[in-house]
Amino acid sequence: MSQRTLIERNVGRVLASRGNLQPKGGFALDRSDEAAEGGCGVIGMASSERVPAKHMLRALAQMRNRGNGKGGGIAAAGLTAKQFAVSDKVLHEDYLLAIAYLDSKARKEVEAEYVEPMFEVDHVYEHPQMADFSEIEGLDVRPPDVVIYFVRAQAEKLALFKAENSFEELSARELEDEFVYQNSYRLNTSYYASLGEKRAFVLSHAKNLLVLKMVGYGDDVIRYYQLEDLEAHVWIGHHRYPTKGRVWHPGGAHPFIGLNEALVHNGDFANHASISEYLAQRNIYPLYLTDTEVAVQVFDLLYRNYRYPLEYVIEAMAPTTERDFTQLPESKQAVYGRLQASHMHSSPDGPWFFLIAQSDKGKQDEDIYRLTGITDTSMLRPQVFAWQESGQGDEKVSIGFAASEKQAIDAALDSLAESDGRFWSRADRYWNARGGSHTDGGAFLFSVHEGENGKTELILTDKFGEQVRIPSHTAAFRANGYKAETELPEAPDVEQLFNKLVAQIPDWDYHDALNALEGLIELAKGEQRAKAIEAITLLMDRRYATGKLRRSSLLSLCDKAFDQMLENVRSAPSDEFAHHAFGDIMPKPANEQQCLVVDARGYEPQGEESLSREIHRLVAAGFCRLMLTHVRGHRFIGAGLGPDSAGLVIDVYGSPGDYLGSGLDGAHMIVHNNGQDQLAQIMKAGRLVVHGDVGQTFLYGAKGGECYIRGNAAGRPLINAVGKPRVVINGTCLDYLAESFMAGDPLNGGGFVILNGMRFDEAGELTPLQEPYPGGNLFSLASGGAIYVRDPMGKLTDDQLNGGEYIELSAADWELIRPYLGENERLFGVSVERLLTVNGQRLAPEQVYRKIQPGRVRALQAEEAWVKKEKTQRVGFH
Amino acid sequence: MVEYKKTDNEALVVEKHVTNLHDGFAYWSHNEKEPPALGDARWTADMILSTWLMAENGKAPTNGKEYRTGLSGGGFDQLGFKFLPEAEWLAADTEIDLSIPLNKREEGRKIDIKLPFYGGGMSYGSISEQVMLARAMAAKKMGTFTCTGEGGYPPSLVEYKDHIITQVATGMFGVREETIQYAPIVEFKYAQGAKPGLGGHLLGDKATWVVAQMRESVPWVSLFSPFPFHSVYSVEDHRKHVDWIKTVNPEALISVKVSTPTDVDMVAVGSYFAGANIVHLDGSYGGTGAAPEIAKKNIAMPIEFAIPKVHRYLESENVRDQVTVIASGGVRTAYDIAKAIALGADGCVIGTADLVAIGCTRCSNCERGRGCPFGLTTTDPLLSQLMPPEWGAERISNMYAAYAEQLRAILRMLGLSSIRELRGRRDLLKYLGMRSAA
Repeated sequence: MSQRTLIERNVGRVLASRGNLQPKGGFALDRSDEAAEGGCGVIGMASSERVPAKHMLRALAQMRNRGNGKGGGIAAAGLTAKQFAVSDKVLHEDYLLAIAYLDSKARKEVEAEYVEPMFEVDHVYEHPQMADFSEIEGLDVRPPDVVIYFVRAQAEKLALFKAENSFEELSARELEDEFVYQNSYRLNTSYYASLGEKRAFVLSHAKNLLVLKMVGYGDDVIRYYQLEDLEAHVWIGHHRYPTKGRVWHPGGAHPFIGLNEALVHNGDFANHASISEYLAQRNIYPLYLTDTEVAVQVFDLLYRNYRYPLEYVIEAMAPTTERDFTQLPESKQAVYGRLQASHMHSSPDGPWFFLIAQSDKGKQDEDIYRLTGITDTSMLRPQVFAWQESGQGDEKVSIGFAASEKQAIDAALDSLAESDGRFWSRADRYWNARGGSHTDGGAFLFSVHEGENGKTELILTDKFGEQVRIPSHTAAFRANGYKAETELPEAPDVEQLFNKLVAQIPDWDYHDALNALEGLIELAKGEQRAKAIEAITLLMDRRYATGKLRRSSLLSLCDKAFDQMLENVRSAPSDEFAHHAFGDIMPKPANEQQCLVVDARGYEPQGEESLSREIHRLVAAGFCRLMLTHVRGHRFIGAGLGPDSAGLVIDVYGSPGDYLGSGLDGAHMIVHNNGQDQLAQIMKAGRLVVHGDVGQTFLYGAKGGECYIRGNAAGRPLINAVGKPRVVINGTCLDYLAESFMAGDPLNGGGFVILNGMRFDEAGELTPLQEPYPGGNLFSLASGGAIYVRDPMGKLTDDQLNGGEYIELSAADWELIRPYLGENERLFGVSVERLLTVNGQRLAPEQVYRKIQPGRVRALQAEEAWVKKEKTQRVGFH
Repeated sequence: MVEYKKTDNEALVVEKHVTNLHDGFAYWSHNEKEPPALGDARWTADMILSTWLMAENGKAPTNGKEYRTGLSGGGFDQLGFKFLPEAEWLAADTEIDLSIPLNKREEGRKIDIKLPFYGGGMSYGSISEQVMLARAMAAKKMGTFTCTGEGGYPPSLVEYKDHIITQVATGMFGVREETIQYAPIVEFKYAQGAKPGLGGHLLGDKATWVVAQMRESVPWVSLFSPFPFHSVYSVEDHRKHVDWIKTVNPEALISVKVSTPTDVDMVAVGSYFAGANIVHLDGSYGGTGAAPEIAKKNIAMPIEFAIPKVHRYLESENVRDQVTVIASGGVRTAYDIAKAIALGADGCVIGTADLVAIGCTRCSNCERGRGCPFGLTTTDPLLSQLMPPEWGAERISNMYAAYAEQLRAILRMLGLSSIRELRGRRDLLKYLGMRSAA
């Protein structure tokens, strides 16, 4: 019998057997309470070493503004046996049946009905919790008591289950999985979903995977259940933002489970009803009426029952569409086409980002703990991934992240770095996934493989199963009793100092780096404070060859040295530099040029006590130069300064939050790191420099201003921008660059964006990306402005456009953009000569840059002639 | 104001047309004969002519014209009031309060409007600057608001800023920090009842040189605002959106304008919890002669279903008295306003009625830049002079005064002394049964 028929028959049997799960009289699908949420904050981490839950606390606390305290949860996979006082064998072989008791009296009944008669119970673990839940501020529902049963199905019950349902062909694992699944379903139906009162439900029931959740924030879960020191390879944490209902139940919080996986979700889908129908046709009836549960049921069905490879599961959920589909190899198109046709009605449609924690088995039956992040094809929810690795061989420690915000990842790294010398404050790489991309699929999987000798390894793969290798021929810093001296080259100005340092760095070891940084700290104590601060800023901003040093490690050391310099500003302020922190009285500038260092810690991310509002007060007090440090997800920095803020300069260090520089109208802002989403929305004038990437909808509805981005922009940069914004993006964008761009005629005062399609490689060398722009919908529906794209190989094609047209760069175009590229060179070291050099040959600008201008969208030629007449007679607005 | 150097002849031409138009509005509204081909079932000839009369003298007509309901056979036209027997009416001199609060939360600035309605967003470009000014002047005079729509904030309006709502819509046209900072109320236009699922649009004909200048776009190119906000795909994004506006203008009240999908109740409660002071439900009967046929009247729930759905749901969530619910989309008369309030709204937004007061006949030529015979929905420098702002302000104020008089009368006949007592009194409404346009 073919493998295919075998699977078909067995899937049929499994699904048919679930028909018995329905309560008598059928299941009334009550849709009155469905889809009751929208946004959420999520973070996941996977590490080759088990890490304790406490390192998610800060990240979750900093993302509280993505939830509303009405649902929080965590999942952990790859636990340690001793934490539950069981043997390794029990941890690996037993199912962890974690039951939440909302009514403690239900425990006896549940055990008598659904635990004892079904399972061999090897161990019962009553989960610790805080004595008094009201000690956690804002918690108004008592979280459930949690009991974890380490169980195996009773042999005779399993045999009966097998016989009754003709499950002879299922493997032992498949049989027992399904037994557990159906038992939990019955338990939930009796004690949670179908009853008026909600007394108990199953939190999780996989091997070596645990879910805890409650009505509260995700970080409350860690505190309440005292998980701070609980260690696991894979963690996910979630804040929920339900909008409906006055009474919330922990069952509605994320993560939701299938069998061997737990899923959290940010977003919502429009076709929840359709997917529910799809599942109902397969005898799967979700109990909690949220789209998240439906999503995890689809995942479980496709992966466990249908035995799809993960790649196909992802394709079924986030189909590859449009141009990306056409770029796939034909064989893949054939399979994907069928998957898409089959899953038309089970594919979540709408904005979503899933994080999935899995306790899985590999080909050799080895344990795998996996974190998977999948973004929808339209990339409508924020997502960022990151990777950090240190050590070689047995010493190697790798950690991967996926989260709603970069700042959350940085918070987790900070927390890890504080207590564990194997981690440091910056990831080796941060990236955004391009949903449905033909190159990596827009999904990333961090898999922890546990070997027999106990040595574990973290492997990063993309949707297609290709291993993503983040080069790390350099060694990361490990503190080992270096004693730093002060050794700094002499130089008259910051530029020469920086150049000298950069020339030396390739020969440095960490000892040299520490010495030089110590030298800078010393320098900053005296007259040359400004020079030292500028020099270390350049070390953090610029790309250069780092020789034997890991770039992210060096930056992390710079962070520490920089903190020390600012600490010295606080203890010894000068006419040049003063210091301000949360709670200090409002300072007055000593002089117009005095730079105020503002420690962002303590300020709220938004609202009256926010950093952005404090900036307004400081500007009103007369400060013209602000240096914001320790920024941790603070939003709206530089928004609300009002019209004509020219003369103000704001430097931002740390991990700023969303909407930075929105409405900027004259001021200059410099971000010494990556930016997040919605930067420079409606920007009018002034300048924004970002030494890194920017997120979604950069410059949405902008009217003007100059922006320089060293790295990439995510989706929809410059959407609906008008007027005269002038923008240089040195990397690329995910999709929809300059959609509905309306910025007039660039040669006549209008706006434009230069897309260089370059990146700095590990050696600090500027190198072209594989293609300058990978997506479609370039310059879609644009009626004004232009894109100048560096594309010497002519890789961009007509099918990437939607209304625009390619034309040759004119002398006037080059004259227009040359100064901006010059400034770009000054800011980032992206040399114009290098940009014009292709394969070692210096070419003319028109051989390197192409111009994209609006196609023939102007249908009103006759009217235009009339307007010319009108214009000459008009005085204009007053 | 737009300055246009008129030649002597042009000035005379404008003067002649304005005189003729004004004579015409007066002539037809006072004449027993109706002009041919005026009105439709929703806005009947009687209703248009009555509105002109109200705009002229500030009173409901007494000439027998039906000024209260239309003949659409649905919506508000199928609802009537169960008035008390005349003996139980409140005395004619009873003080009747028509004001409503726009901020019912404990925190934040308190703004009450004297009338239970304000003017809806119409952008510069969709209408002339003169019309915007007329609406703003009337709002100031009558103690209520008007709204910029999505096309910028002409400087001539700044004088009236305490009575102007700044709209932040999906194209962000003309939205700048100062326009957010001017506004006592900032309105997020997430959707429009006349064309849910579409953003605002202005066809090329109307994207004139001055309009393009105000929006900083390219003249003579159709302008389509995206749908939805590409920065807002969830309630958590919406809260962030609100926080942004509050950063720029901490004093501003927040209004959230949405259309009426089947889960409009969810949207309303979500908006409230994210910080909205006003939830503005825009139903599908409403305005814009320029909305594409495919969207117009084919999508979204009728406003008379949406209002009670939202009202009841907010009540069940115990937050009804924390948020102001405003209804719009086909609110044409004082009676419509009273019915919407009886269904559960706190007040209404009106749009088309403002235009009718200043001469609109609902001829549906709005999308063409030079198609408006009355110089309203145009920025043509000559044509827009057919509606002098002071004249328009007077007309709109008069209509508002007539509405107020009728609302007081309605309340008196129901035995209520405040418009706030009418809210949610569905028991005072009756279904009129099928009637047809005879």
